[in-house]
Amino acid sequence: MDSTGRVCTAHHISSVGENGGQCPPYKLGTKLMPFLAILQHDLRGLWAGRLVRLWLAASALMTLLLAAANWLKFQDATLIASLLFPYLVFPWFFVVVVLGVSPVSGARAEVLADGILSRPVSRCEYLLAAWLARVLLVWGVYLVVAVPALVVVTWARRPVPEDTVTLFGIVSALGVVGLVLTFLVSLGFLAGTLLRKPLLAAVVLVFVWYPVGVVLNAFSLEEFSPISLSRAMPTQLRQPWHAAGASAGNKASAQDMEALARQVDHFLSVFSNGQARPAAAQPDFFESGKFGDFSLPRVILGYGVPTLMAVALALLFFYRRDL
Amino acid sequence: MSVSVIRDANHVPDEPTAEEPAAQLAIRTEHLTKIYGQRLIAVNDMNLQVPRGSVFGLLGPNGAGKTTTLRLLLGLQRPTAGRAEVFGRPCGPNAVAVRSQIGYLPTNPKLPEDLRPIEYLDLLGRLFRLPREVRKPRIASLLRAVGLLDATDQKIGTFSTGMCTRLGIAASLVGDPPLLIWDEPTAGLDPSARRFTLDLIRELGKTKTIVVATHILSDIDQVCDHLGVMHEGRMIFTGSMQDVQRRIGRDDFTLELDGDPETVRRLVRDAAGLEGIEVRTRDGRAVVVQVADGRPRARALADVLQLVETCGLSLRGVQSGQNTTENAYLQLLQEDEAHGFHR
Repeated sequence: MDSTGRVCTAHHISSVGENGGQCPPYKLGTKLMPFLAILQHDLRGLWAGRLVRLWLAASALMTLLLAAANWLKFQDATLIASLLFPYLVFPWFFVVVVLGVSPVSGARAEVLADGILSRPVSRCEYLLAAWLARVLLVWGVYLVVAVPALVVVTWARRPVPEDTVTLFGIVSALGVVGLVLTFLVSLGFLAGTLLRKPLLAAVVLVFVWYPVGVVLNAFSLEEFSPISLSRAMPTQLRQPWHAAGASAGNKASAQDMEALARQVDHFLSVFSNGQARPAAAQPDFFESGKFGDFSLPRVILGYGVPTLMAVALALLFFYRRDL
Repeated sequence: MSVSVIRDANHVPDEPTAEEPAAQLAIRTEHLTKIYGQRLIAVNDMNLQVPRGSVFGLLGPNGAGKTTTLRLLLGLQRPTAGRAEVFGRPCGPNAVAVRSQIGYLPTNPKLPEDLRPIEYLDLLGRLFRLPREVRKPRIASLLRAVGLLDATDQKIGTFSTGMCTRLGIAASLVGDPPLLIWDEPTAGLDPSARRFTLDLIRELGKTKTIVVATHILSDIDQVCDHLGVMHEGRMIFTGSMQDVQRRIGRDDFTLELDGDPETVRRLVRDAAGLEGIEVRTRDGRAVVVQVADGRPRARALADVLQLVETCGLSLRGVQSGQNTTENAYLQLLQEDEAHGFHR
């Protein structure tokens, strides 16, 4: 650049934008513009990463292998449950957690976050957009592999006895697994915000998630453990819509409330070292095939509330911390 | 608008002075303090006032707290105590309105490597909520202005340091903010890119307030009209460049001579007879001429130059100690350290 060019350039830049940084009054679309920009940027960045592509390929391969191995053995519900099983346990839970951990931890991520947070963006907008990008991506990979597999399994004619899998059952089973994945992303998100080092956060989460069954059992919340959810999946897949409908709703919700109260009571008694109320006789949860106390509303609450709490805590810690 | 009086950095006016009503300040901090983990004091009870429309040089050695101060203004960090305002609005993590008024260029900006320049600037334009019809033409103008039009199809990851800085400059201007905060904008640049950046600061300074944090004194000399000197987290001096020279005014000259050292020493001996002038050697082939108060500087210099000729020495150059910010800066640091506990 010669000196004449430089002067022209400088003049040119100083005349760029003559509104002095003022923008016309915001519409809703304009207001959401930063949120959507970060969401799009994060989705693109995640998709460009090797981890997501490898996960997509590996989960497609695993689904194919599981379906092929059990094609002639399992009925529809059991086969579908076996295909969804890897998303609830190792190895996919680890991938999902790592995806959740990355946005706000690690030196590189922090520098890039600086580049965005030094612009007119609130921390809440940034964090929520980053969280949503990860949730959408995880759901995307999961559904892209699971839905075609489920369609093939349900429609294909196989030399196994007919099953009574319902559309409601499939949608609710997919939703439950998706909710668990959302919870795992949020847990990773919280750990990443708190610990700032991605590797440390991932290791901590592995140690937290592995013994989760034992912990839940201690609080009589075993129905929420991934293994229990997997075992309950065939029953849920055969669940007709009307069973969860309004006609049976009163009885179901009364039972749900009773079960919920019992779980809360037991949970508190563990901390207070007191005696929990004796429970009324119920069908054994782990009795073969009898997953009568698998309740969709309770599972939604059981994973939904902690998910929201994890996101809220991540927001709080991120707001309080220095970048 | 100028700061006519050198302020003691520790004095905080309860209300803005008549010369500097709050509305005329782009940045104002009061007792701003940042302590990391109860261990490291990065910014120490800092009071800073940056007038609107000024090009303010924030000068200080490495680790003086310059970058931390800028990050506190941007809300990237939270102050341990005190407060900061930009255009009268308090700074903080959620001060979106404040950041919409600021264009920030970090030191050696780290940019998303997988994006191309247009994509990156478009992302930032959307963060500033600029509608497409404003954003797109502005991005094109900025890329042309910083000389990156030929690199629009390259990913940022392939950019050199200079190209990243130029893109960072464009990024800081996307929102057309009235305040620019540039942290060491010439760090790691080649002479041509450095020249470009300094010209740009000078030009932008006509319409915007600019804060340039640096430890390169010649940059401050060339572009700034106001100066703040930080040392160990404290603002030890703020004022206009004229204030700096008045404060540090040194009536001395350095003469660079060509001749043998013995002749130079003879010059020093002969100059001892001149009234109100003290000459001493420096580095063998240069002499420092100190002129006493009340003695006309031009006349004193003429007398010494006559002696130089008489001694048969050649004059290679003359430097005035009064004009070097370096002297002022070093003197301020020495004074600050000499104050010891009273700091």
